[in-house]
Amino acid sequence: MTPEKDDQGFRYPLVWRIMDILEAILDLLWPQRMAKLTGWVLIAPALLLVGILVVGLVEIAGNSFHTLDKSTFRLSQEYTLDNYRTIFQSATYGGVILRSVLASVFTVFFSLLLAFPFSYILVRTHSSMVRKSLLVVLFLPFFIGQVVRAYGLLIILGTNGVANQAIGMVGVEPIRLLFNFPSVVFGEVQYMLPFAVLMLAPALTAIPQETETAASSLGANWFRSLTHITLPMAKPGIVGAGLVVGTLTLTDFAIPAMLGGGSQDFIANAIYDQFFRTSDQGLGAALALLLVALGSVCVGIVVAVFGAGTLGMGGKK
Amino acid sequence: MTSQSQRLIFWGLVWFSILILSLPTIIVVGASFTAGNIISFPPEGLSFKWYEKIALARDLRQAFSRSLVVSLICLAVSLPVGTLAGIALTRYRLRFTSALQIYLLLPFTIPLIGSGIGMMLVFGNMGVLGSMWPVGIACAVINLPFIIWSVSSSAAALDRDLELAAANCGAGRIETFLHVTLPSVMPGVITGGLLMFVLAMTEFLVSLLLTDSRTVTLPVQIYNNVRSIITPDLAAVSSVFVVIALAAVWILDRLVGLEIFLKSK
Repeated sequence: MTPEKDDQGFRYPLVWRIMDILEAILDLLWPQRMAKLTGWVLIAPALLLVGILVVGLVEIAGNSFHTLDKSTFRLSQEYTLDNYRTIFQSATYGGVILRSVLASVFTVFFSLLLAFPFSYILVRTHSSMVRKSLLVVLFLPFFIGQVVRAYGLLIILGTNGVANQAIGMVGVEPIRLLFNFPSVVFGEVQYMLPFAVLMLAPALTAIPQETETAASSLGANWFRSLTHITLPMAKPGIVGAGLVVGTLTLTDFAIPAMLGGGSQDFIANAIYDQFFRTSDQGLGAALALLLVALGSVCVGIVVAVFGAGTLGMGGKK
Repeated sequence: MTSQSQRLIFWGLVWFSILILSLPTIIVVGASFTAGNIISFPPEGLSFKWYEKIALARDLRQAFSRSLVVSLICLAVSLPVGTLAGIALTRYRLRFTSALQIYLLLPFTIPLIGSGIGMMLVFGNMGVLGSMWPVGIACAVINLPFIIWSVSSSAAALDRDLELAAANCGAGRIETFLHVTLPSVMPGVITGGLLMFVLAMTEFLVSLLLTDSRTVTLPVQIYNNVRSIITPDLAAVSSVFVVIALAAVWILDRLVGLEIFLKSK
């Protein structure tokens, strides 16, 4: 294509010239016959970016095989499994791991208990006003961020906080609501609720309301139709939401750190302390790798149950 | 819903959820307007003095601008990378697609503390810890699936024939991309960009691991201050985040409609 003026004095626009030049350069650098590889070129930057994570994991794995040399405060040279032995033999870490798992179990239970009616009404309501309001209530905390939300809970649950003021009005002495296990679980439930609803709601959307109508026309009360129709049909969504909430709780840092006040450490807090307080990078790395393994098992179950397209990436529709 | 008792139980639980989801936000915003020197209820009078105070506080202002820089870097990295990857996953026939998807979901599947410490080691070995751009890149990495997901769902809706038609009309590959492919995935790109920006703005754990005392971002600054003493100025700072979140929800609703998240896959 050579730019040329035709008889009417038509000027070949500058944009076209630039475009022609760009196309020519592209043809030179990336001829049509390499079109098969174009997709790989486009996806390569994303693969490289995620590659940073993979390299990071390899670094962690490498560090986890070296113990801390107490004389130099650097990691020793020889490879050993001592860090893992320390973790498995130590009662402290056993306690921390047990606490994290227990908190996850409680959080999953209470989040699902609250998320199910929330999603159900969200999906089934006929009023678009109600639906929109519920969605805004759900998304606002999601965008506010964990630290600010935990700070809000600190204000509410503090000794002079709203909760204590409220029970004070009925003549109850202020009680310590913070820095204990239930307050951490409460914080986690508050944090995880939006995730649980967003995982559950699509599953409930997929259940036709006619199934419930049919059940009630056959004489089932709402409880029977819930336990025999809705819950079984929503099972994939419930399992998915439970696993996501469980994994996120198990690996959480901010809520136990802020609402637990140092007495309710989860695995992530123990890892942080090993890196930044005790400076035992080897032990911290071993803990981190164990947590990654634990998390991967949970996620592996999700992928196995729902397939890799859970998030609809590249959706095979 | 038919039965009265079901309505009662369900709405009871929903109101409880609404309460625990919204109350912290309302309390934080309310506390920021107190005239007293401590947070108490009911607040002692109404004033803007804590907003004045945070506007003058140098450490908070600097932390805020650092958060802004981190979010912009995150956006600058993730927008092109995520858009191209989203297009590649939907518009091109790649081999090993499911393996690719699992790999690209790694940022979600690896616990944040693991990703954060891994990147801390990587950037530490490169000797770049202490500058802002590694934090921006880290935020881009851990949230990358969000933008890939939103671009691919837009791209999946584009009719492949449109691109062929453009080529048939004489458009080159760049022209086709700029005038057909890119405009059609634009809603997904904007949604994804919004998510990336806000999530980088509020990102806490990874920032905590990758910053030192001279480079803290705003969420980390709040965390550090909360641990020392709770004063109403933090409530005022938190209100800034509430405003950002409100704006984000409003834009998201205008762009794609919040109801899209209820659709079954």
